[in-house]
Amino acid sequence: MIAHLSTDQLSEYVLAQPSPLIERHIQDCPACRAELTNFREALGEFRGAVRAWSQDQAKQVLASPAALPERRSWAASHQLAWALLIAVVCVIASFVIPRHRVESAAGSDAVLLNQVDAQVSRTAPSSMEPLMKLVVQE
Amino acid sequence: MQLTATSELETAIGTDVAALTGDFEALVRLYRPKVFRFALASLRDVDAAESVTQDCFLRAYKARERFRQKCSLHTWLMQIAVNLIRDHTRNRRFQFWKRANLTAQSVDVAGYAIADRGRSPEAQALLQERVAAIWTAAERLPQKQRTVFLLRFVEDMDLLEIAVATGMKEGTVKTHLFRALRAVRERIGERV
Repeated sequence: MIAHLSTDQLSEYVLAQPSPLIERHIQDCPACRAELTNFREALGEFRGAVRAWSQDQAKQVLASPAALPERRSWAASHQLAWALLIAVVCVIASFVIPRHRVESAAGSDAVLLNQVDAQVSRTAPSSMEPLMKLVVQE
Repeated sequence: MQLTATSELETAIGTDVAALTGDFEALVRLYRPKVFRFALASLRDVDAAESVTQDCFLRAYKARERFRQKCSLHTWLMQIAVNLIRDHTRNRRFQFWKRANLTAQSVDVAGYAIADRGRSPEAQALLQERVAAIWTAAERLPQKQRTVFLLRFVEDMDLLEIAVATGMKEGTVKTHLFRALRAVRERIGERV
């Protein structure tokens, strides 16, 4: 007669490979029998819990809209058209704006040259101009 | 009733190659929940489990001509799923997220559908503790032990089927199962 079943012996019994000695002990020992029943019950409930959890998760996966292929709505295609239009406008603008800048730069150069000419052709520097006025009046 | 309907469908499908080539959709309907459940219990990640399930049926469809009826369709699909899960857990990105997830929160499967069966509230709470201990212990098992443990105690597969699905010898399956059960039993002893 063995004292009580060890963890290994209980595992052996659960895997349905018990030796005749263990088999006999289970029949004779209420404590080990109860222990074995509890262990088996826990394993059974573990199976049930995992299955219930899996079913629940599977339902959520199917219910989630992300799981289903989305149909492109009218609004979505409208947005896409707008995006395309804006892109085309940007491309055209990228060609037009630099040319405009070159033209305006050429115009401003001409204005600057005229101003330089005007300054150079003066008889006296601008800081002397008030004195020049007095001389002319006299 | 559900079981009868499934059995009838299983009989109707049979295990022949014609079922694979003919009505693949029916096959997916029948085995998808089982493959998903095993993947989910192994990976504990809904997205990863869904991805593995889809890959499993895709591979099965591509390899349907090579199915030789040496085992049941269920075992064959589980064999594909076992390989996919193994590849997935080796993935570094998955390992990173798994570690991050472990520190953040873990799933409390024990809260799911533990039948009352006239138990006292104390007995019910104790049982819930035991289920939680098994769940935690299963997570900490080495990959091979966890796989055989889940195939045996969640999927109800026998040793020979597990041996085919995992590509191990029957004796090796027994050894892994024995070690897994011992670890689980010890964990229950620690917690309860």
